[in-house]
Amino acid sequence: MTGAALLEIRDISKSFGGVVAVNRCSMTVREGTVVGLIGPNGAGKSSVIDLVTGFEHPDSGSVRFDGTELVGRRPDVISRMGIIRTFQSPREWRDLTVIDNVRIGRSNLARESLFRSLVFARGLRREEAKETGEIRAILKDYRLDDVRNSRAVNLSGGQKRLLEFARIAAARPRLTILDEPMGGVNPVLGERIGEAIRDLKRAGSTVIVVEHNLPFIEKTCDEVVVMDLGSVIAQGAFGDLRDNSRVVDAYLGNDDE
Amino acid sequence: MAANLTHHHTRGCRTTFRQERIERRNFTHSPCSRLCYGHFQLVAASFLTTFFWLGSGSEQTRGVRSVRGDMNIFWISVGSGIAVAAILALSAVAFTLEYAVSRVVNLAHGEILTIGAYAAYVGENNFHQNLYVCAVIATVFGALGAMALNFSLIERFRNQKPLSTLIATLGASLILQNVVLIGFGGASVSYSFAQGSILHVGPFLWTVLTIKVMVSAVVVAVLIYLLLQKTRLGKALRAISQNRELAQVSGIPARLVVMQTWAVAGAISGFAGFLYGETIGTITPTVGNGFLLLSITAAVGGGLGRPYPTLGGAVVLGLVMSIASTYTSSAYQLVIAFGFLVVMLLVKPNGLFVRGRISTVRA
Amino acid sequence: MVQYWTAILTEAAIFGVLALGIDMIWGWAGDFDLSAYAYFALGVYVTMILTIGKPSPPVEYILGWHLPYLLAVLISVVVVVAFASLIGAVALRALREVYFSITTLGAVWAIYYLVENFTPLFNGYNGLSGLVDPMGGGLSYNAYHYLFFGFCLLVLLLAYLVVMRLSRSPFGRMVRAVRDDELAAAVYGRNVFWTKYRTYLTGAALAGLSGSLFAAYIGAFNPLDWRPTEIFVLYAAILVGGRGNPRGVVLGSFIVYVGFVELTRYIPSPSARPELGPALRQILIGLLIILMLKFRPGGLIPERLGTDDSRRRWSTGWLHPRPRASVKIPEASTPLSVESSDS
Repeated sequence: MTGAALLEIRDISKSFGGVVAVNRCSMTVREGTVVGLIGPNGAGKSSVIDLVTGFEHPDSGSVRFDGTELVGRRPDVISRMGIIRTFQSPREWRDLTVIDNVRIGRSNLARESLFRSLVFARGLRREEAKETGEIRAILKDYRLDDVRNSRAVNLSGGQKRLLEFARIAAARPRLTILDEPMGGVNPVLGERIGEAIRDLKRAGSTVIVVEHNLPFIEKTCDEVVVMDLGSVIAQGAFGDLRDNSRVVDAYLGNDDE
Repeated sequence: MAANLTHHHTRGCRTTFRQERIERRNFTHSPCSRLCYGHFQLVAASFLTTFFWLGSGSEQTRGVRSVRGDMNIFWISVGSGIAVAAILALSAVAFTLEYAVSRVVNLAHGEILTIGAYAAYVGENNFHQNLYVCAVIATVFGALGAMALNFSLIERFRNQKPLSTLIATLGASLILQNVVLIGFGGASVSYSFAQGSILHVGPFLWTVLTIKVMVSAVVVAVLIYLLLQKTRLGKALRAISQNRELAQVSGIPARLVVMQTWAVAGAISGFAGFLYGETIGTITPTVGNGFLLLSITAAVGGGLGRPYPTLGGAVVLGLVMSIASTYTSSAYQLVIAFGFLVVMLLVKPNGLFVRGRISTVRA
Repeated sequence: MVQYWTAILTEAAIFGVLALGIDMIWGWAGDFDLSAYAYFALGVYVTMILTIGKPSPPVEYILGWHLPYLLAVLISVVVVVAFASLIGAVALRALREVYFSITTLGAVWAIYYLVENFTPLFNGYNGLSGLVDPMGGGLSYNAYHYLFFGFCLLVLLLAYLVVMRLSRSPFGRMVRAVRDDELAAAVYGRNVFWTKYRTYLTGAALAGLSGSLFAAYIGAFNPLDWRPTEIFVLYAAILVGGRGNPRGVVLGSFIVYVGFVELTRYIPSPSARPELGPALRQILIGLLIILMLKFRPGGLIPERLGTDDSRRRWSTGWLHPRPRASVKIPEASTPLSVESSDS
């Protein structure tokens, strides 16, 4: 519970065409924790994720991951440092098979060089075949093994969510950022997703979850960060925050959530 | 020696594709085929002479430059730029309206212009009609062509990716262009409207016909404005361009409005095709092709899917090209236009007059 | 008759190489590139100016080095890739989908008019002529043609093997992942631009290679031989055969080239109307593109699916049933609704 700081966000700000989305936001995420990021709609939660993962660049401030500055780096570079994120709706490579989707999560990038793919094709295929057992174990875990050879686009919405978690499990990131993993998910699948997040933690990943579903946050997260109007207004254990008047105001005063 | 012989025989035995290419050379290369893309310079030249086809625009210009000095040729060029920009604006707005309601980059747009131009040609030559009746014929056939395109193709590809629809319109462009080719032959045909006398308007030199063209373009632009802002169709059109599904559940008959928009866009295109043919004097089945590229450039440069930014983009493009063409050969018009397009796309991808940008790697 | 078929099949083989290259760009990477025909043409031009001698006035063109054919092929592929790297760097950096297509459409016409009008480069409108003899001369007419046909088939086979190998490799899988969702690909550490760029350049190299073959095949080349609209024939071939599947692409180019030659042979083309035959052919191409897109976008042999078999399985459309549709998990079958987005 008391690991070193893995992600340090210091005073980042971002405005889109005059509208301030993130305003001098700072937070620290310690290694090995599951942190819930909550706040009313428009609080800037998704913007913070975009800024951390390089999909947007902050106007000012700094983001450090394990001591390395992330600001100014491309999303793929940040990902290679060990950060995987999701989006509000599940994204899959629609015309690839389910097993290929997970393989891409697992795959080491050197294997995808044009030269090696051309010259050492057979060796690469053997390497991949060796991994198949591991990949299928992950697929079984997420109940996708039966559909592993069909196109990802044919999956149901819930299966696509699970595929996303299977991919993350294969990628084994140091930091996982989940943007509303419970959006539009039924209760039974919700249970499974909570389980998946605990699995990620057990496997050694630090997790940030953006979510509106407070009971889910309470059950899953070690710590909660509350945002409103683009900045962090509170950080701490869920139970402590329930009585924080600013948090209650943010949720009840500005929004109907 | 033997090698040379071989080469000769190769050409003889290759019957199909190669022969076509050679044949195509014979019927497409007339002096007039150069008019398609060298229009700016030519328009400038046609103010100074009353007959249409001149060997090369640049020679004419050079002669003029020595007589009148550089400043004059600059203003003449800008004047012709304004004239073509007016037609370009109409074509580009039609293109943008199609995009607005159907989210389709219609690469068969140039062919609607061609249809309008040829319809007017048929009206003029076969029925001895006057200018205004020809304009009406061009407008009607343009509208019919666009409606047919929307009905038979665009609506049927509505649920597919934008790129699929774009490819489909490419197919349609190929079909329409060659139907016109079969119907009218590959050689260029000419209108025979009188250009009228040359007038000095400020620093510009315009013929009466050009002034008529510009005035009618402005009138049409005003009509488009009134249509968009003051009518129920305009309101419905703007709603659909924001979100077709939402407009539909709000009780707007989306299919009908889209069809009407295509009719309007087609009418504008047909009319623009006629004006263009009238300005350059001759038309070929590929007349719309080069103009399509200019329309795309104007629309993307100004703001794709937005009529007023597109209008602005067309004016800017017309002026940029006409000024640039004063200093280079007319043949490089499209090269300049392409440079303009690339700069626009890289610097302001959503358009000169629109805020924001296209998303690639971003949420 | 044999000569006739040799000529047609040679042309089909040459365009098969080109189709393989274009399919990498469009089928794998999803970039509908309209300027690829310019790379092909550049391959033809460069091969010609490298192998034929110095120009004599009024003909003008650059170089004229009289190099051996194979060396010329190598150099022209390098030149084409260098040229494509410029256009690709501009068009692929931030532009996607229709914007990419529009840019490449503009590029190809700009190049076209530049080549047509700027005579010092490739003799402008009148084009180049002169013999490009890959066999070094000394062969009889028939022997030359059969040998050249064999050479083209060999190049096609090699190109096919290379492309096939890449298509099944981790590289091919990554390119398709970037095509399907580049945001997700970036999240998993893939450099989207670099992936697309490499694919683009490989495709352009194949286009240049096929241009080099074509240079030896035709002997004379001018801008009317490469109207940028000709590329639709290639796209029709790819659509018919199977987008994203090298096997389908080669099949498609043979079907389209041989099929259309055979079909249009019986269309009367009176001397008074020389445009009739080509025009009808173009109309058929247009129809074919639209109908394939609408009714069978996957083509005859759709793209291969990567499965867990060590022998990669082929999805062959109607020849074999498609892989099983998804098996629904009962508790996960609720349709997913995306909540209103945040900030």
